[in-house]
Amino acid sequence: MRAGAEVTIYLPEPLRTYAGGIVELPIRAAAIRDMLGRLEQTQPLLHRNVCDETGAVRRHLNIFVNADNIRDRDGLDTALKRGDVVTIVPAVSGG
Amino acid sequence: MLTIGTKKGVFVAEAPKSRRSFALRGPFGPGVPVYSTLIDTRGTPRLYASSCNPFFGMKVLRSTDMGKSFKETKAAPAFPKEDGRALINIWSLEPGSEPKDLWCGVEPASLFRSLDGGDSWEMVPGISNHEHARKWNPGNGGLCMHTIIRDGNRMHLGISTGGHYLSEDGGRTFRAANTGVGAGFQPDPYPEFGQCVHKIVRHDAAPGRLYMQNHGGWAEWTGPGGPRPDIGVLRSDDHGKSWRSIAKGLPTDFGFPIVVHPHDPDTVYVLPLEPMTRTCPGGAPAVWRSENGGDSWKRLAHGLPKKQSYFTILRDAMTIDVLKTPALYFGTTTGQLWIGREGGEQFDCLFEALPPIHNVKVAVV
Repeated sequence: MRAGAEVTIYLPEPLRTYAGGIVELPIRAAAIRDMLGRLEQTQPLLHRNVCDETGAVRRHLNIFVNADNIRDRDGLDTALKRGDVVTIVPAVSGG
Repeated sequence: MLTIGTKKGVFVAEAPKSRRSFALRGPFGPGVPVYSTLIDTRGTPRLYASSCNPFFGMKVLRSTDMGKSFKETKAAPAFPKEDGRALINIWSLEPGSEPKDLWCGVEPASLFRSLDGGDSWEMVPGISNHEHARKWNPGNGGLCMHTIIRDGNRMHLGISTGGHYLSEDGGRTFRAANTGVGAGFQPDPYPEFGQCVHKIVRHDAAPGRLYMQNHGGWAEWTGPGGPRPDIGVLRSDDHGKSWRSIAKGLPTDFGFPIVVHPHDPDTVYVLPLEPMTRTCPGGAPAVWRSENGGDSWKRLAHGLPKKQSYFTILRDAMTIDVLKTPALYFGTTTGQLWIGREGGEQFDCLFEALPPIHNVKVAVV
């Protein structure tokens, strides 16, 4: 059994096509960085849409743990606990 | 058939050979900027479009049904993880020598190749890891490889701002080939590399000849290095090893696209813009045509607005078809698509209100 808390990733509509159409993706991870690493292994198409080739989260995406932007917590080191919902949201930008 | 890459997706327009009117469909990849398209007429036609998604990264879209639908290829170009660079944009798609062979120029300026129609990509190290590559700087549009020209075993690349690079071994190795190509934005007017090349074209019937729209507009420069008049429109007759100005007679040597006539290598078209505003001089757009390889120029504006038109035509937004009497096409940043019938003698607006246009390609299919 994998280490880390059982959490759920909520996927916005444009990302669902890269995860077999699902809306919510259950995953085990101790922190956001760990979660992204596991996504790279298990959901490479989805991961490519969230992170660039260097592994950095794409510039115009925000990641929330429950209601908190990870930018306002510990960034990629933001810890996850059982039942957390991680939401990946395109930034409000463009024109 | 036209592919029209816009700020909000790619459109496809079709017409019979009379080109009297075009039927439009799209947008495909809606809402996402498209900077490059390709109508690949080798075998069953395939259409490609780069879909440059600012949120979720770059995609390559492919259509196998003449532009009725597009699907993502299995992969887009991507730098190796250890490289440290990340793809920002896809600026050019060109066919290679084999049936499913594609070349792709990207931002930050690098070259990729696919041998399976865009489903997998390999970085081309000869230019992507060139000793100059980490010294190039982005222009206003980004550090982009926008031009890929194949000529047998030669390959010409245009990079803004990197300059013109030439390979004579099929793309394995490259060298800067910028003798005579000026740079206005640095004290050394003629550096080895680092020029802001905007577009390069060639013609099969004139071996060794190339035309270049370079970043001009430096005739009045009074800083170090002095003025650099007429560095914007250039010609080479030795496969790009040296270049000379052919800008004399144009209202300004600044512009983005340059197009060569499909049946006459002496006939070349540019679309001059005011260098400071990058808009049509005096608000009156015009294409300028030379029929003698750049020795003299004629203004073509019949049918175009005579005033109050301050749009920009980007580097890949002008093209020409290959019919017996070819038509020019150009798209504007204000979303108009114009056709210049009879080689540019008579302009008509095909579409008046598309999203801002980045790219126009045409093919007879």
